[in-house]
Amino acid sequence: MTPEKVNTAEFSPLELEVARLIVESLNLEDVRPDEIDPEVPLFGEGLGLDSIDALEIALAVSVKYGFQLRSDDSGNTRIFASLRSLSRHIEENRKR
Amino acid sequence: MIHPVLPLLLAHAPGEQLAWWQGRSVDREGFLAHVQQIAGELPRRRHAINLCEDRYLFMVSFAAVMVRTQTNLLPANRTSKEIQAMMSDYPDSYCLWDDDIKDRLAETGTGHGHPVPQLAADQVAAIAFTSGSTGRARPNPKRWGGLVTGAQLANQRFGIARHAGGTLVATVPAQHMYGLETSVLLPLVCGIGVYGARPFFPEDIRAALEVVPAPRILITTPAHLWVCVEAGIRWPEVVFIISATAPLGRPLAERAEQVFGAPVLEIYGCTEAGSIASRRTVDGDLWTTYDGVTVDEREGIFYVCGGHLPEPVALNDVLTLYNDRQFVLLGRQADLVNIAGKRASLADLNRKLNEILGVQDGVFIFLNNESDRINRLMALVVAPKLSERQVLAALAERIDPVFLPRPLYKVVSLPRNETGKLPKEAVLALLERLKGGAS
Repeated sequence: MTPEKVNTAEFSPLELEVARLIVESLNLEDVRPDEIDPEVPLFGEGLGLDSIDALEIALAVSVKYGFQLRSDDSGNTRIFASLRSLSRHIEENRKR
Repeated sequence: MIHPVLPLLLAHAPGEQLAWWQGRSVDREGFLAHVQQIAGELPRRRHAINLCEDRYLFMVSFAAVMVRTQTNLLPANRTSKEIQAMMSDYPDSYCLWDDDIKDRLAETGTGHGHPVPQLAADQVAAIAFTSGSTGRARPNPKRWGGLVTGAQLANQRFGIARHAGGTLVATVPAQHMYGLETSVLLPLVCGIGVYGARPFFPEDIRAALEVVPAPRILITTPAHLWVCVEAGIRWPEVVFIISATAPLGRPLAERAEQVFGAPVLEIYGCTEAGSIASRRTVDGDLWTTYDGVTVDEREGIFYVCGGHLPEPVALNDVLTLYNDRQFVLLGRQADLVNIAGKRASLADLNRKLNEILGVQDGVFIFLNNESDRINRLMALVVAPKLSERQVLAALAERIDPVFLPRPLYKVVSLPRNETGKLPKEAVLALLERLKGGAS
């Protein structure tokens, strides 16, 4: 991946924190947290994560932010639509 | 005794819960009414490519297809290329999606006195496909009689029917053999109910267990069991848990028994043979085959026969046989990898990688590092005109997402020797350099 430095001003502090959580919990060796475009899909296209990753992210979120992710009616496409939407969901539900 | 004809439902009494779907109980009459309704509306073709993801809708459509003496086709994955290939291999077919079925279902409870369909034991209920090393997906036909016998063997082993009136909750897809044999066949054969969806997050699983009638049995995999155990959730009571698709580590089994307060049992099987043996993980490494099922070895290949199997089936693993009923698992036969419970042939993955326009040479690599974490595949690819992203996108059209390489490295050439082979040391050395240096 070409090491283009993304302007971190595009990330809210929580978004950068969640990006770090994703990279760490999934052991994504070749991705830097600030390289994740906050609007790009996390699954399929974009970051290319799969359902196993979703489970590991959910676990990391529950440990760090103190609440359990649950599937929504959209089949989780809304929560996991992007780093931004996931961060927003965490912001709305966090207990820590 | 071999019965030429077997009923669709073997054990449910009228009024007994068969499924928990859309927030309420569906009984035997409701299910039969749904099956008849869908059966009446299916196209007149030989094969139905059953892509329903909702468990209850899959069950209804699976049964309806059988009632029409058609065959359910169960592709190895849901990529567009796989489905296209299947439609081309089986031209007299149609696809079934959740929305097709859901929109047509009348309210549950309407229609009474539907007779239980009687199905020929030797009719091919489904064909499950596996990716083999030789190119085309391999068909594994499953006859209705074999599926029923398999469920009866599981019942003998696990005592499922003892918990009739209760509910199975499964995290696995209904269209893979493990999910089919447990979450579809056990309810049909043993008089137990099933949760009609597929809970995903630990919290979803907890909510499902809480809402369904007890006694409850959880059907899951090591990956799911691990996150459930780590989630710090208080779990509703279950009578036992079944895990399959990948070997369950003993430490995880012990923790799971502690956290759930219930025994954790494992099934060993494969798409080709179905489920053939079980163990309670904390008791040790020894597996015991289902009653009437035996294993033996010929020229380094292990075979299973008897029980629900019409003929011997070669297994994909290397075993140590203690007798013809008991064995220990040593590992996989060389070409095969198991990633998060899904099986793939490395030769098949390599072929698909090299089929991509723009890929001049490429290879998948699996380094088994024996940790609790999910081991991912890596790949090296020579593709001067494509980006990593483009190669990954092309791969995603052909293989299950769980096999996508992490990472995919673009290289100038693969370290092949004079005979065209890739020596392991050369590949490992290249990987070290790639990990250490710039991309």
